[in-house]
Amino acid sequence: MCAKKVAVINALDRVLDGLGEELIEASDEEIMAAARELGMDPTMRGSAAFLGLKYPLLRHPSDFFEGFDLQGLLPAPAPRLDGPATEPPLEGSRRRKKN
Amino acid sequence: MRTLPPLADHRVLGPTQTALALALVSEMELLRLKTLARWYARGLPPDMAWDDLLQEALTRVLTGARQRPEDVPMVAFLAGVMRSLRAEHWRRFNKGGFHRGWHRDSTVHLDQSQNESETSELADPTPGPERTVIAKQELARIRRLFEGDTVALAIIAGLSDGRSAEQIRAAKAISKTDYDSARRRMRRILLREGLTCAPRR
Repeated sequence: MCAKKVAVINALDRVLDGLGEELIEASDEEIMAAARELGMDPTMRGSAAFLGLKYPLLRHPSDFFEGFDLQGLLPAPAPRLDGPATEPPLEGSRRRKKN
Repeated sequence: MRTLPPLADHRVLGPTQTALALALVSEMELLRLKTLARWYARGLPPDMAWDDLLQEALTRVLTGARQRPEDVPMVAFLAGVMRSLRAEHWRRFNKGGFHRGWHRDSTVHLDQSQNESETSELADPTPGPERTVIAKQELARIRRLFEGDTVALAIIAGLSDGRSAEQIRAAKAISKTDYDSARRRMRRILLREGLTCAPRR
């Protein structure tokens, strides 16, 4: 009985592992195509494709510090889809000039 | 005299370097992680959703509880962490059930006193009835995803029996072209399933 139970569980684990590899190997183009089929545009910030992901909410240092470049700190950084952050800083965050 | 090549260098990255690498993860890699987390969360007890699984994996990596070897890509590494968290979560669940296991409102339960690298890969020796029922249901759900695609279903049957790609092709007389086409179709379905916001089928 226990062997049967273990067999079912192992079968699921093997299927998950095997098909998980397919997801790891999926190309960016395949991900984009799948997103577009669902009517999502991952190139847009706030796209529904990112729903549920908490991690992208963490900001990059380059979002706060002009000229801060993490790319130089690692040997082979992954390319960002939308390029480096180019949003202007918020109005309130600018320092007032002294007269 | 021939000199022996040096042993493989398994240098691991520290938490700071890993945090930097995570900060540089591209949007496509984030989506790949989302699809992987949704996939690996299949067959887990209901108290652990895919976002908990991913968040827990990120936490383990950022705190240095899991160290990334230098030559392993970030997504593949996090996928491995999520896979081992599955086994770990079931062990905790079997010990404490729904009430003493992890909960959505307290996802991070780090126990650094344990030697995780040794314990996390161990198979659960006594799976409870819940786990068996959930595994059966999940396998049926996965098969339903590929309903009507005989080659894809043959691949799933082969994978569940622990067969390699060559063995599956030989057993079912599938040509390499048909096999690769089926894999592409399967990837498309898996990606759609992973990116969707709808509940799992």
